[in-house]
Amino acid sequence: MSSSPLASATSGKRVLSGPAIAGLALAALLAVALPAFTTGYVIYIANLLLVFVVLCLGLHVVIGENGQFSMAHAAFYGIGIYASALANRAVDLPYPFAMLFGALVAGIVGLFIGALALRMRDIYLALATFAFGEAMQWVFANWDSVTNGPNGLRISPARFGPLEILSDKQAYPFVLFFCLLMIGVTVAISRSRLGRSFRAVRESEVAAMAMGIDVRRTRVVAFGLSAAIAGFAGGMFGLFQTFIHPDSLGFQTTILVLTMVVVGGLGSIAGAIGGAIVFGLISEVLRQAPQYQEIIYGGILILFMMYAPRGLFVFIGDRIREVRHGR
Amino acid sequence: MAGETAAPFLDVVGLTIRFGGLTAVGGLDMEVAKGSIHALIGPNGAGKSTTFNCISRFYTPSEGRITYDGRDITRMPAREMAGLGIARSFQNLELFAELTVFENVLIGAHVHAGRSWRDAISARPRGIVEHVEHLLERTGLSAYAQTKARNLDFGHQKMVEIARALAIRPRLLLLDEPAAGLRNREIAALDRLLCELRERDGITILLVEHVMQLVMSISDRITVLSFGTKIAEGTAAEVRAHPAVIEAYLGRETTQETPHG
Ligand SMILES: Nc1ncnc2c1ncn2[C@@H]1O[C@H](COP(=O)(O)OP(=O)(O)O)[C@@H](O)[C@H]1O
Ligand SMILES: [Mg+2]
Repeated sequence: MSSSPLASATSGKRVLSGPAIAGLALAALLAVALPAFTTGYVIYIANLLLVFVVLCLGLHVVIGENGQFSMAHAAFYGIGIYASALANRAVDLPYPFAMLFGALVAGIVGLFIGALALRMRDIYLALATFAFGEAMQWVFANWDSVTNGPNGLRISPARFGPLEILSDKQAYPFVLFFCLLMIGVTVAISRSRLGRSFRAVRESEVAAMAMGIDVRRTRVVAFGLSAAIAGFAGGMFGLFQTFIHPDSLGFQTTILVLTMVVVGGLGSIAGAIGGAIVFGLISEVLRQAPQYQEIIYGGILILFMMYAPRGLFVFIGDRIREVRHGR
Repeated sequence: MAGETAAPFLDVVGLTIRFGGLTAVGGLDMEVAKGSIHALIGPNGAGKSTTFNCISRFYTPSEGRITYDGRDITRMPAREMAGLGIARSFQNLELFAELTVFENVLIGAHVHAGRSWRDAISARPRGIVEHVEHLLERTGLSAYAQTKARNLDFGHQKMVEIARALAIRPRLLLLDEPAAGLRNREIAALDRLLCELRERDGITILLVEHVMQLVMSISDRITVLSFGTKIAEGTAAEVRAHPAVIEAYLGRETTQETPHG
């Protein structure tokens, strides 16, 4: 049917250009080969980065595509983690069913938050979603009978039929597969009619309305989908993690994901992915100096908003172009 | 088939719009015939845009009724207008600035997207892409298809507004000052395009415009507003000779191009 190459997908920004495809291919090769030449710790970090890639894709859908701010994505991620862990424990089905359940629950909560968000914009929306995130963290920490409260919840191993995943190395191919799957899903959404209406609403609500787009529904759906993807990331977390504690689902995580998306470049899928990887690595290094972690995140976020608002990759691309054109 | 007694394509009856204490439009009656270019003119602040926004359902009138193609649309939501074949442009551009020209126009065709799953997920839905490319050609935008709307010059941006509205495949096209800010050459191109839309595509056009050179050359009928009320109506020649019109324009300033009486 569509005879055009991906590169001319006309989604407002090139989803995949020539160098990007080459880069992705190289990255994919490295990614697939990774377990062959590294230690368990590196694999663990790789798993975590891939989960953050998906979490960033989720945030990208609502902020990047639809232009609505969310400070609640750690909460949707957490809902996904708890819901899939509980589903996995409750029923004897292959783990992907638990992941889908996690995405579904997070998505439904996202639809509700999206409906509330219709009344709000900008700073008010940021504050309201922030409050929701804090409230959810409180729920994770205090709903003892379901989440096991402040003691954290043990996550039983994921099973795929007879295969039970007991190590990071074993989990890695699955994590990689689901990450690639979600990249594909996000690209498909972005290129689709729904993706176009997300962007139309982001660019001009009145014009979108004049084109027959239901602006309110579009905004709610963007929130729901975004939350579902974040919830799916939560399900991926359960592929290799054995334990979840509410402390790791707070504001810090939201800021981390937000920074990743901003550093990568708002409005571009490649930016969200690249930001998750680059900034994920930076944050892993920073783990050595936890007392400075937040101030460094904050500093990076502000620097990027000031000097490279379109993200690291556009910034580098522009510098390269400047050098090439002899300046 | 339209006999003498046929109802007008667009029928505005007793349209009144108040903003707090201010009556922006007071009891306007206006009939727009099918397949015509009907201009709505008047000094600044006369209530043209307000009327326009009521017809496109962005404002809701305080009183009065708007009938389109035999259907009362007075209280219908704005987003349903595209589906009925009513398209509009915006006086102060409302482009999807960060998107390409192609995508801007493609979004205009949303109401015609196929219902199939495949059409829904396609970046270039069949049938629609051809229409979009055709429209880009007609509006002289083909070379800019992959340019972001925000990077175009003003004249081309105004054309994108029109191309996007045309993607709706409208039967009624509402244009609010499409010629404002355009150069003479661009106005001439707009003149040709609008005439072609009327003759070849049978589109009815309601035109709010200050540029008299355009209004006088293409309008089948002209309604003149001043302070929210109709002061004259008729053909270009009739309106031009109307004392109230001369008074409204010459007596009070505003437009650089006054109609010659
Ligand atoms: N949304 C609004 N709120 C309050 N007053 C308005 C609004 N829109 C228009 N007006 C007022 O209504 C009158 C008519 O404005 P408008 O329809 O824009 O005039 P025109 O398009 O003929 O120049 C003006 O006095 C304007 O200030
Ligand atoms: Mg006006």
